[in-house]
Amino acid sequence: MRNQANPWLTNNLFVLGLGMLPALVLIAVLLYFTAWAFAFSFTDLALVGRKSVEWSWVGLENFERLFTRRGFLESLWTTIIFVFFSAIVGQSVLGFLLAAALRGRNSVLKNVVEVSIMLGWLLPDIVAAFLWSATTAQTGLLNSLFVVPFGLKPINFINEFALPVVTIANIWKGTAWSYLLFSAALDSVSREIVEAAKVDGATPLQRIVRVQLPIIRPHIATNMLFITIWTFTYFPLIYALTGGGPGRQTETLAVFLYNQSFSRGNLGFGSAISVAMLVIVGALSLIYLRMLREPK
Amino acid sequence: MLKTGLLTTVATLSLALGATVPAHAEVSIMYAEWLSSLVEPGIEAFKAETGEAVNAIKLPSQGYDQRIALDLSAGTAADVVQMDSFMVSELASAGYLAPLDGLADTWDQYQYYMPGLLEVASYNGAVYGLPTDTDVRMLWYDKSNFEKAGIAMPWQPKSWDDVLDAAQKLKDAGVEYFFQLPAGTKQGEATTMQGFYMALLGADTPEGDRNRLRNRETGQWIGDSPAIRRTFEFFKTVYGDMGMPADLNYATDPGAAVRAALADDQLGILASGSWEDACLWDCNGVDLPSREERDAMVGWTPWPGSGEPDTKATTNISGGWTIGVNANAADKALAEKLVTTIFDVGNFKEWTLANHRMAVRTDISESPEYMQDPYLAAATKLAADTTGRDTVPGYQTVSALIQQATADILDGADVDQVVQDYHDALVDEFGPENVMVYE
Repeated sequence: MRNQANPWLTNNLFVLGLGMLPALVLIAVLLYFTAWAFAFSFTDLALVGRKSVEWSWVGLENFERLFTRRGFLESLWTTIIFVFFSAIVGQSVLGFLLAAALRGRNSVLKNVVEVSIMLGWLLPDIVAAFLWSATTAQTGLLNSLFVVPFGLKPINFINEFALPVVTIANIWKGTAWSYLLFSAALDSVSREIVEAAKVDGATPLQRIVRVQLPIIRPHIATNMLFITIWTFTYFPLIYALTGGGPGRQTETLAVFLYNQSFSRGNLGFGSAISVAMLVIVGALSLIYLRMLREPK
Repeated sequence: MLKTGLLTTVATLSLALGATVPAHAEVSIMYAEWLSSLVEPGIEAFKAETGEAVNAIKLPSQGYDQRIALDLSAGTAADVVQMDSFMVSELASAGYLAPLDGLADTWDQYQYYMPGLLEVASYNGAVYGLPTDTDVRMLWYDKSNFEKAGIAMPWQPKSWDDVLDAAQKLKDAGVEYFFQLPAGTKQGEATTMQGFYMALLGADTPEGDRNRLRNRETGQWIGDSPAIRRTFEFFKTVYGDMGMPADLNYATDPGAAVRAALADDQLGILASGSWEDACLWDCNGVDLPSREERDAMVGWTPWPGSGEPDTKATTNISGGWTIGVNANAADKALAEKLVTTIFDVGNFKEWTLANHRMAVRTDISESPEYMQDPYLAAATKLAADTTGRDTVPGYQTVSALIQQATADILDGADVDQVVQDYHDALVDEFGPENVMVYE
């Protein structure tokens, strides 16, 4: 193989090194931040004040507090519920169903649905937060259309159903991604195979479950990998919409991390939370990557 | 993760690129949106006078404190920064701010600042921020809803029971947000100051600082006391037993949500401060209703004490904002010049009077226009018996822990547990020797 490449290039380590430089810088920067968070998770570094300059090593104290102090476990649970319902059940399943239902159609309906879900995806998070805040307000769209006309008392949605509201808002915001990915994946399933299954007498449901789903399995795993990572660390929409509240009802790990690091000002503890998040997301990613492998 | 990683890289690379470009002569300033009517005319005057360019960075009020702390610690803050006065000592102790005492010799208006207010913005004897205003805190109320609920006006509650009684009447009359008592983490310092501390000060006797977060004699934070418990009970009564909706505290823009509730006639009592005379409509004083219209809509009364033996009859705590200079400012003299131009008496006095802010300088507070203003006169009367926050390094952390504790109360946690969590967190942060308990 070696003689196929330009001998000048392969023998010139300097030029090769120069070519690799951008990649090395990129990797170094990424590693630097991860290493920084990891190192400082063993310290009592503060955002401001004396401890921001004269910090000291505290061993595993920050990690112990993840389990002995109120907050982390509650937030982890909130995050799991949020990720499961908004990303896995909501975005993924809804995205797949829409993609399967609208597949091959070239109707006005398809265009309308596509544009609508794309709009949610394209809106900036803060705008989406204001929009959902207004929609779910007592004088908002939901109450004026579906509650008050039936003679019921307006419902204060954010106050009473905070987690469902942010979950639905996130489904609305993120379904477009899953829809696009599944649409493309389903298009790649060759028509002949589906036709063959049809000729063999498979029902529409069987055709999806037995034929199409196994073929697009790698796409499902890739999609799961992406949206789980995104949703697990997702911050702006929740923070802007509820700030983690009322109380701690919507305090996901990302919001908890923000509050501990920047409101309480404990960067050491905040780093420990981010390391814990890294471990959890890493473990989930491994599971998905395993799913990506072809069955033997 | 991928996204954040990429963004961080882009940000770092652009910073690295930025560092290689020679610094250009301009002075930058960071300030909160609500202070624009003071800062922006000052910037214009500065530009006209010096011919220098100003990079004005206007930020939203939501999350402002965190942004400033983060930018100063990361070295990305502007040359001139507006800060809540409680943060000054903490930021100064980390070496982020430049002392301003030199202005005493070079600027003839420095002498008019009230020493007590400069003290709040000091650390180790040096002044690090010049105050923009100070304030007093009170209970605002919506007059039309009080009339609807049949509560006599002017409203003069004498104890917490009187306040809760009025709140119950308002609730029975169908007022949705019958008692907006700031709580939770999203409003930051507002929860601690407008809500928690105002109640705490009246929850027990002032003796031995039993009604505070910190014992100023021993320098210890108070991890548990009857006053702290009573105050949490008070929050629990309002949000738990009486069922006050908590969502205003967590709205996308809490200030706007309170204004909307007032406009919709859904607000009963609002625990807040003297700035609301403008801020209930617009903090920068744009399109304010006339004095008569405002007086017809809302009134205010001092916060009563709890009514427990030996407690204060009314309580008050004052804060305020400051403007200081970044220790890393490229041209400190120019930065100081921008500060003094903003605070030049013409601009400063006009803003103070137009927005009904409480003056921080004797040349303004002793001016006839200020002294003849009935609202400012009444507010100043309240200021005769006020106190300040525990503005020592660490306060920001304690304040955040208090906010978190009120959030747990909103979640229905019981007071014993909340106090225990608060105490443990204080010990985590400051060590057992710096935390005390009042039985």
